[in-house]
Amino acid sequence: MFKSPCVLFGVIACIIHQISLSEVPMKKTLLIVVLLAAASSAALANIADPSIGKSKSIDTRLHISIDSKAKEAKLIIPRSQLRQLRAELDAIDGGSDNTAVAAGTSLSGTQTIVSGALLSVAFIFAGLWFMRSGSKPGAAAVAGAGLLTLASVATIVYGNAGPPPEARVINGKMFTQSVHMYKQGSGPIKLEVSDKVDTPELIVPDNVKLSEE
Amino acid sequence: MLRAEDIGRPTVSSATVLVFAFVSCCALAAVVIGSFPLQLSIVTIFLFAGVHNLMEFRYFAARMPVRWGKSRVFYSVAIAGVVALTSAYLALYFANDNWLWDSGVYLSLAWNTSFIAWIGALFYLRGKQTSRDWGWAVPLVLFLAAAAWASPQYWSLSLVYLHPLIAMWFLERQIRRTKREWLRAYHVCLASIPVFVILIWLAFAGRANLPDETRLFWRIAQHAGSEMLPGISNHILVATHVFLESIHYFVWLLLIPLVDRRAIPWRLNDVPMFSSANGIPKIFAAFLVLSVGIVFLLWFGFAVDYTTTRDIYFAFAIGHVLAEFPFLIKML
Repeated sequence: MFKSPCVLFGVIACIIHQISLSEVPMKKTLLIVVLLAAASSAALANIADPSIGKSKSIDTRLHISIDSKAKEAKLIIPRSQLRQLRAELDAIDGGSDNTAVAAGTSLSGTQTIVSGALLSVAFIFAGLWFMRSGSKPGAAAVAGAGLLTLASVATIVYGNAGPPPEARVINGKMFTQSVHMYKQGSGPIKLEVSDKVDTPELIVPDNVKLSEE
Repeated sequence: MLRAEDIGRPTVSSATVLVFAFVSCCALAAVVIGSFPLQLSIVTIFLFAGVHNLMEFRYFAARMPVRWGKSRVFYSVAIAGVVALTSAYLALYFANDNWLWDSGVYLSLAWNTSFIAWIGALFYLRGKQTSRDWGWAVPLVLFLAAAAWASPQYWSLSLVYLHPLIAMWFLERQIRRTKREWLRAYHVCLASIPVFVILIWLAFAGRANLPDETRLFWRIAQHAGSEMLPGISNHILVATHVFLESIHYFVWLLLIPLVDRRAIPWRLNDVPMFSSANGIPKIFAAFLVLSVGIVFLLWFGFAVDYTTTRDIYFAFAIGHVLAEFPFLIKML
């Protein structure tokens, strides 16, 4: 029932506290439970797709150059390595197309765990403080709870939104912090095979306006 | 006593003058800064960065009691936190040349967490000294820590934009203490700030990005969050940041000395550390002279190599940002 640890911890804290302090008004308890249930939508919005699996890879080197004169992104593969690549691919199970990098998120696992744990404890302490405080929830608190609920529900809409346009075009902006935080990026690219290069080379256009692409 | 000729003449209170002057200055600043954000960023930091730090030091010195008494633990934790966090910040900053990223991301997260925990400890210690309910501070601190871990880069950017507002909060607390007749007028002034920010955004939203061909221009835009918010014109990001920073300077340099005579720089007899029999006048005087010297050194540095001096200044400026928190919490 409770997929979000935040909700689970919060509700348990409320129930325990409710039992220990029987004089606490029920209105407060209901308000907290509603808030916690609403907040759980944020946690449920980003459940990972279990179908994404790991892929095999081929070791090589890649040279990346940002070229202000380039009009389009271009990946140049040495002909010699292409033959090797073909041979390697033949050896891989059926050459399936799941070679895309596993979908990254803006948070590392450690960050998610620590942030989630802190948020859960914050909810517990907030619930305890709210129960212990003598004040009754006024109209402002109820209105605030309503707004928070709406804002939380809105996270379902944005929770699975894709990266910004900068992460969907291969150009110089891909190397900025704004795209770095997504740890992924993609965009149209020209593939070429050449005898003139020794290692695969990625030419990235610089100073290209997004609207022109 | 009213004179005969004054009867029937409309009177203008100092609070009304405050609102008029504040709103007029903000309007002028919004137009000029919105039109020339890079230039105004360079000029305002050159002129006011060092001086406003001196004024802050002077203000905090006036608020620091000679004998800490029941606040001994509070001030000890406060000073230890400022020293330790500033040292750690400088080590991280100069080791990475980039505050959040590269190999220092978890160290940065640890610093953010320590910073928030330190503020939580100060709230806790302050709460023990007062009869008010400070229980809300614990979940708030935990919530902030969760936000800092979930989105460290936006957390750091939010500090850049929130820091100027701390000065306005200080002024509000000071007005409550020493110039209560200005309180309502000051609240009107505060309410006008988001209006001006919205107007800046509406008026300059269509402007192209600022040039970033020099390291200085790039640094200014990066400081305002251009790399984290690439979908927003960095013209308005820089303009917004400079606008808020200018109000922050204005508050420290002019408004706080206006409402608190103990903050007037030359009234050293109002500084307990200097004038009290149990004070440390020589040490305080030495610090004051050193601070004045640093102001002149900054001006010299800005004149010789603005970009490098700006980087060094903003690295060390974390010290004054941290020092504001204990005094603000003490005033709540």
